[in-house]
Amino acid sequence: MAGKHMSHDEFFAGLTKLFETTRSKSHGSVFLVQKRLSYDLSASSSTSTSPTPQKVADDPLWDLHPPSPLPVLIRATAGKSKNHPKEKVKLSTAVQPDALEAFFARYAEVARGGMTGLKKRDRTRRKAKDRKRKKAGGKEGVKG
Amino acid sequence: MSTAKPPYLQSSQEWLKQSALLLKARPTTTRITTKYKVLSPKDIEAKITKARARRKIRSKPADGEPKPDTEATTTPIQPAATLILKTFDDESGVCLKYKTDKAFEVGRLIGSLGILGRSMAALPNKPPEELEVPAAMDTAVGSGTQTPVPEAAKGAAAEGKGQGGGGGGGKKKKKGKK
Repeated sequence: MAGKHMSHDEFFAGLTKLFETTRSKSHGSVFLVQKRLSYDLSASSSTSTSPTPQKVADDPLWDLHPPSPLPVLIRATAGKSKNHPKEKVKLSTAVQPDALEAFFARYAEVARGGMTGLKKRDRTRRKAKDRKRKKAGGKEGVKG
Repeated sequence: MSTAKPPYLQSSQEWLKQSALLLKARPTTTRITTKYKVLSPKDIEAKITKARARRKIRSKPADGEPKPDTEATTTPIQPAATLILKTFDDESGVCLKYKTDKAFEVGRLIGSLGILGRSMAALPNKPPEELEVPAAMDTAVGSGTQTPVPEAAKGAAAEGKGQGGGGGGGKKKKKGKK
């Protein structure tokens, strides 16, 4: 499992590309998933049988107070998966607790740059209003 | 006509609040999925015609004649995108969703993802915005449980009314009167 994750730089480069392809195709979806990375990355090679070593502790609320902060797993996928599994793009990266803030700052930037299909603020509405105002003004002028 | 699909929450604030509660109760099994979906003009057209057909069927018995639709045909269809945030907990089946199509919300929403990411990583809540919510949660759990079963917390998160604290208060009142 350890080899699966990529560095943050690689991840963001891939994510930017994902957004670009959806933009050029002008349809499709990008999925972003984040969850706690609860299995031990370093231990996966030697003791692969115990995915969550902490769970063994005899405490039903074991996961509410872990002894140390855990990394967060971020995944990004896009493309067809049903009939064309080869076209599916999968990216994933692990964010260490101390890198969270920096990561999400960059994440926001990439997302803002990539999600271009969303509606921009106000502009069109304001324009429409202006047009209406002009029309109304014109009519009044005709009446007078 | 309510389907099995969970409803969308009204505001991103509400989504963040509820998600924070859910994450607090179930930090390891909760995941957040962000879906950015772009509909091509073709897809949108198909959607519109489908909706129109449905409207016609519904309005037929009432009006007798289906109204001619004028507004939809005049506006050119542009590719539209939506952003859907979904917080889902495998174990309890709680699902919280928020949907938007506004670009200016992206920054704030990713910011919320960052806040939630902190609690995923089991770091203390740093930003002061969300302080009251977790505090209320604490009192509710603390007052109502001798046997700290996660189900209690889950219930509070699942009900999603933000009034778990209120319920706890009621109990206290009763005890005081006796």
